[in-house]
Amino acid sequence: MRLNRFSVFNIHADPASHSNYFNQKLNHEIFEKVAKKCYIPTNNLLLNLINEFDGKFRLSFSITGTFVEYCEQYMPSVIDSFKELFSTGAVDLIEETYFHSLSSLYDDLDEFEEQVKMHREMIKRIFNYEPRIFRNTEAIYDNRIAKKVEEMGFKGIITEGTEKILHWRSPNFLYKPINTNLKILLRNYSLSDDVGFRFSANNWPGYPLTADKYAGWMSQVEGDLVNLFMDYETFGEHQWIETGIFDFLGHLPGEVLKHEHLDFVKVSEAIDRYNAVGEIDVPWAISWADEDRDVSTWLGNDMQVACFNELKNIGRKLKETGNNDLINTWRRLQTSDHLYYVSTKGLKDGDVHAYFSHYDSPYDGFINYMNILQDLKEKVI
Amino acid sequence: MKIAMIGWEYPPFKAGGLGTHCYGLTQSLAEKNVCVDFYMPKTKHNTNSNKNNLVIKEVGETEIFPYDRPEDKELVGQFFNSVYRYNDLVAEKVKGDYDLIHCHDWLTMKAGVALKEKMGIPLVLSIHSTEYDRSGWLYPNDWFIKIEKEGMEKADKIIAVSHFTKRVIVDKYGINPDKISVIHNAVYPLGETEKQNIVLFLGRLTIQKGPEFFLKAAKKVLDHGVSTRFVVAGMGDMFPSLIDKALDMGISNYVIFTGLLTEEEVKHIYRIASVYVMPSVSEPFGITALEAISAGTPTIVSKTAGVAEAFRNCLQVDFWDTDEMANKIISLLRYDPLHKTLSSEGKREINLFTWDSVADKTINVYNGVI
Repeated sequence: MRLNRFSVFNIHADPASHSNYFNQKLNHEIFEKVAKKCYIPTNNLLLNLINEFDGKFRLSFSITGTFVEYCEQYMPSVIDSFKELFSTGAVDLIEETYFHSLSSLYDDLDEFEEQVKMHREMIKRIFNYEPRIFRNTEAIYDNRIAKKVEEMGFKGIITEGTEKILHWRSPNFLYKPINTNLKILLRNYSLSDDVGFRFSANNWPGYPLTADKYAGWMSQVEGDLVNLFMDYETFGEHQWIETGIFDFLGHLPGEVLKHEHLDFVKVSEAIDRYNAVGEIDVPWAISWADEDRDVSTWLGNDMQVACFNELKNIGRKLKETGNNDLINTWRRLQTSDHLYYVSTKGLKDGDVHAYFSHYDSPYDGFINYMNILQDLKEKVI
Repeated sequence: MKIAMIGWEYPPFKAGGLGTHCYGLTQSLAEKNVCVDFYMPKTKHNTNSNKNNLVIKEVGETEIFPYDRPEDKELVGQFFNSVYRYNDLVAEKVKGDYDLIHCHDWLTMKAGVALKEKMGIPLVLSIHSTEYDRSGWLYPNDWFIKIEKEGMEKADKIIAVSHFTKRVIVDKYGINPDKISVIHNAVYPLGETEKQNIVLFLGRLTIQKGPEFFLKAAKKVLDHGVSTRFVVAGMGDMFPSLIDKALDMGISNYVIFTGLLTEEEVKHIYRIASVYVMPSVSEPFGITALEAISAGTPTIVSKTAGVAEAFRNCLQVDFWDTDEMANKIISLLRYDPLHKTLSSEGKREINLFTWDSVADKTINVYNGVI
């Protein structure tokens, strides 16, 4: 989600300024571009594969409210195609917060709970379905979040299968949180990133990655299940069509099903089929972002923490006003992207951050975002 | 290896980045067992070296002027004469068993070319700025350009202080890019003291350095109700007109013109400033930005400055975009976390910009021609 340029001179200059915080033109353009390169062709391919393999190819989607709003505004046919996929019965839906937010990290979890409820209502409205599995923004997870998610009635939660929490143990089993009764699905980051990050890296020993090679690797994995979770934009956007990513995906179900001991399951089927083999204790939040696998991507420097706190504190006062227009604006400002652009990690190690940012530097990202937060704050006081 | 280096200025007597560069480079070369005879015009100060294999050789009797491109007609004549005289003297006096000649900018090029031809040894030429930069790309003077072009053509290797400058050398002077190496400048870190509420401009008050854009931004910051002082440090031909401008704008109570500062005063002002702004119209590198950053002072530089292509933890603006310049100045004064992060990340990154590494890269260039 992209913001408009907002300088200190714009603060308090216009009572209706909050309708101009977001760069709708740019957001629209990006959405259409990615829809054409990724969402539409990948959905079509997946639908064909489900039909071709008579429902034996099964998968799950995690879709934010923001994404659905973009679809409804800019390209309703994309939603129709997700509906069609869901109606095959081979597709599961995963719950998350309506906005791609860090509300699970606030000291009070009431805003988090409200955003999950908003998502639940959205999924109910569009798909007439109630997900049983939860996946937080960027798979952010700790004991506190697990407890809350269990209280809200979910049966399973997805997070990162990092050594930080597993130590010597394998991600290819279900676990349970130390403090509550939930099943944890852990992303096998090695096999997931083989596709998401390394697929087109020709200096990688696994290159070129073919469907039969990949299915072979999976067949050799020990454990109950392999959780492959990746950005949907992997298909056609991060990995362009020219890399052969769609050929890979097209051949994958057939190659996997050649192995007798392999099959596909939806996330809700996985937790019904398998039992937890051990407990996981996560006192400090983890995520699937960066090498650090924690929340430092969004809260790694003083600027990010200042924005995060400002945003959080505005919310308390804002909710008292009951102004739904402003509350909605505030929630869209909670999208983690805005803090991601303020990360200074990219200045040290690698260009991942820079690639996805439209600002000249994280400092420009901070100034713009903080100016907007100051403007919003002045509307509340 | 023995080098005859021909310079124009050397600390404590210096007008700009060229002197700073020559000091840092020769000190580090000497530490790496490269013998350097550094030729420069005679000064009042009697410049000395503290190193065995670095010898400072002062040539000639003329007093030189602290500007590299004076506007005043009368000064210009005297200035050119003294540059010519200096170059002639150097060409005559440099004798010895050298492996190569290394000279800096147009001020020393004629001597460099003459010596290369006389002694039959390679010539390395460092370009710290071109006539296009010094003129701010307004009416560049052909007379300088001719000297520069001849020097660049005759040099065996050229060292440019940035990719920006390399492009100018290729595009405007028609030089083969293969003989140009880019070596970014470095800094001896200044260290920090307690900050005061000061926004600083420091540089020659010439069209190249864009001081009038600093004043325009200052006006916008003050009109926005932000209380701070602006310091314009340095001297140059725009000095009187800038004072008039500040008066016209009604901001003269908040703008302090310091005139020329001593080395110690320069260090002090870098350390106590809260924000440093370098709004240069054309800036091949911009060592002053590194100096300010090394003093823990968050810095705003022109997008096109050479330093902007090499240094990541600074803010960048188009020099003409005084709205954005004011936005960034106010943000730095208002948002502590921004100020703190830029200051600490800047000091971390500055450690990568050492004269030791500049000397290593320069030796690589030398080895390519010997």
